[in-house]
Amino acid sequence: MCTILLWGENRNLASHFGLLVLFSIFVSLVFAVLMRENLGEQLRLGGTLFASFVLSAIVLGWMMYAVPW
Amino acid sequence: MRTRQNVRPSTFEKPNAVLLCIVAWFVPGAGHLWLQRTRNGLILFTALSLMFAIGLVLGGRIFPFEPSQPLVALASIADMGIGVAYVIARLAEWGFGRVAISTYEYGNTFLITSGLLNFLVMIDVYDIAMGRK
Repeated sequence: MCTILLWGENRNLASHFGLLVLFSIFVSLVFAVLMRENLGEQLRLGGTLFASFVLSAIVLGWMMYAVPW
Repeated sequence: MRTRQNVRPSTFEKPNAVLLCIVAWFVPGAGHLWLQRTRNGLILFTALSLMFAIGLVLGGRIFPFEPSQPLVALASIADMGIGVAYVIARLAEWGFGRVAISTYEYGNTFLITSGLLNFLVMIDVYDIAMGRK
């Protein structure tokens, strides 16, 4: 995370996947807090959302790998 | 779903819903704190403030309100959703946007999303104040 933040301006060091993970963490956290009341359910929903964000990005990324343009 | 957080002392009087929404807009999570949902309020404040700050660090732009450019105007409204952080960033002239760097679009995404999420937080506060949650 520090690498992303401190060297974000440098094209070689900015990690697109790292930023995706960071974004997913924040969005999952906020949705979990808003949509569930107790801690256990919040953790479960947050984890599910986070995993869904990251996995869908990986799957879509590989699908686009096959696109010629 | 009745949980520990839903159980409130009977002496606690809920403030005006509109006032709560304004407070929730101005400081992310403050509405939840006012409604004695301390944990949720602190999480929302930390997450949304960090998202906005990271957006600025990544070189994102705080869009000006330009009615002639609908997409820019919509992005501007989304940016405004974060409340006091938006005002501070505008006054300090942060968030002018560094288009040339690779993280510019990521920065925009973080800035816009933090504002939009705070709009959802406002709606959640309104629902709680109206007794729907």
